[in-house]
Amino acid sequence: MRDGGVVLGGRTIWRNATFAVEPGTMTAVLGPNASGKSTLLNLILGLVPLSEGSLRVFGEAPHRGNRRVGYMAQSRAADTTSTMTGRDYVGLGFDGPRFGWGRDKGKREVIRRALALTGTTSFCDQPLHSLSGGQRQRIALAHATVFSPELLLLDEPLAALDLAAQAEIVDLINLIRDTTGAAVVVVAHDLNPLASIVNQVLWIARRQVRSGSVDEVVNESVLSELYGHPIEIIVTPRGRRVIVGLEEEFAHPHPHPHPQGLTHAEEAHEHLREVYEEETS
Amino acid sequence: MSLSDLLSTPFVQHAFYAVSAVALAAGAVGYFVVLRHQAFAAHAIGHVGFAGAAGAVLIGLSPIVGLLVFCLGAGLLIGIGGASLDENDAVVGVTLTAALGLGVLFISLYSGYANATYSILFGQILGVTWDDVGLVAALSLGVLLVVSLSYRPLLFASVDAQSAAARGLSIRAMSLLFMALLAITTVVAIQIVGVLLVFSLLVAPAAAAEVFTSRPLRATGLAMAIALGSAWAGLFFGVWIGGPVSFWITALAASSYLGARLFDRNRVRHVRRALA
Repeated sequence: MRDGGVVLGGRTIWRNATFAVEPGTMTAVLGPNASGKSTLLNLILGLVPLSEGSLRVFGEAPHRGNRRVGYMAQSRAADTTSTMTGRDYVGLGFDGPRFGWGRDKGKREVIRRALALTGTTSFCDQPLHSLSGGQRQRIALAHATVFSPELLLLDEPLAALDLAAQAEIVDLINLIRDTTGAAVVVVAHDLNPLASIVNQVLWIARRQVRSGSVDEVVNESVLSELYGHPIEIIVTPRGRRVIVGLEEEFAHPHPHPHPQGLTHAEEAHEHLREVYEEETS
Repeated sequence: MSLSDLLSTPFVQHAFYAVSAVALAAGAVGYFVVLRHQAFAAHAIGHVGFAGAAGAVLIGLSPIVGLLVFCLGAGLLIGIGGASLDENDAVVGVTLTAALGLGVLFISLYSGYANATYSILFGQILGVTWDDVGLVAALSLGVLLVVSLSYRPLLFASVDAQSAAARGLSIRAMSLLFMALLAITTVVAIQIVGVLLVFSLLVAPAAAAEVFTSRPLRATGLAMAIALGSAWAGLFFGVWIGGPVSFWITALAASSYLGARLFDRNRVRHVRRALA
């Protein structure tokens, strides 16, 4: 993308975005809620038009239904209520968009491979609603990788998972990247679980996009400039980053009640303590 | 008159063909109604049909014409307005009340209406003519044909709209297609069980089928089979024992759902016991 910008419904989402995604690399898209992270994926998918600048996907203008691009949506309504089996859902990734009666002969083999790659073969015949969150994400990854896409877009694959399941999914994403050589773009609200496998970061905030390596973007001067106020980054002994100064948007991405009356510093301290406890336990 | 004589009379024969076609279409479309959690939309379209039928009779047309116009109109309105499923309830609710209001107006304008009203509300399967059977069968088979051809895209758009859109399906178009199918199915089902009992064929068999299988195709087939079974048995009991056929069909379809839930609870208990 070069100098890309999006305007939706008269509102500028972000502008001046320039970045490239190389095969076999991992790009993390970070930033506060509603900053336009998913919009970036929708642009690549051809679901939303670019308002300025240019975007090429494999040298072409983005268009819907591109099989070279795999996509895993953020919240799949089917997940928690569907009685459909994982195998059927993965099958929809293969021929879901096709009208008509015909059945493709290669389907069985393609599905088998996607299930094997994602380690879902053993539970793929159970209904989706009976699976754990991590198992469902694995099925969703199988769905997204049916065609061995060269570009894999994942919207919040770690949301609503406990730490163990997060680590499992990160390993799986890494495995998929290694075996297929795909470029992977992951939207996330926390860099830490992904930090070990990320090559590039796109940080979206206040209608701007910063791109570069983890160290180029996730540092105090870039983030302070991006947010327009001082940001501090504390690195824990295990190399995890605690970012201080944007707690509102970032430290508590899930809507759980804020402890009332705490100052930012106190809150950051709380968060830091939680991370330490987690690491030492 | 013996039972076999009764069963071979033309009006029972007509009814038999009509219920068969309608039950198959309703079972198949019903699977998607349950899958998409749009039972409320199905309910509303039926009631909108009431206004259509009343209006058609008022201006001297066949009720089925009014049903088709109003149900399709309401279906498309709900399809456009509520393409994103979140807004659906409000859109459906407003459409429903507006149409019911119109229905009340039409009835008050037409004095000799009581009999026709009754058959629209509760169905009058034993009164269908050979021409009605032709129309009902043609519409039902048309619905089945379209459902089978667009089965995968409908399923995909219903369970995961985001991914389906990314893969090039128009969610709005699929929503409109589904609503049109639902509207036509409602119209034909109203011929059998009436506006108020349309649910019995559209929702109960599919909801029961979903309990027994996790495979979409099997669930759809099972929903069609349960609907067909309820319709045939309902017609038979209505002729043999008496009482409105629509009552029998409703009672049987509802019992199939109840039975499925009881079976499911037993199964869950067995699994729990096995695990403990």
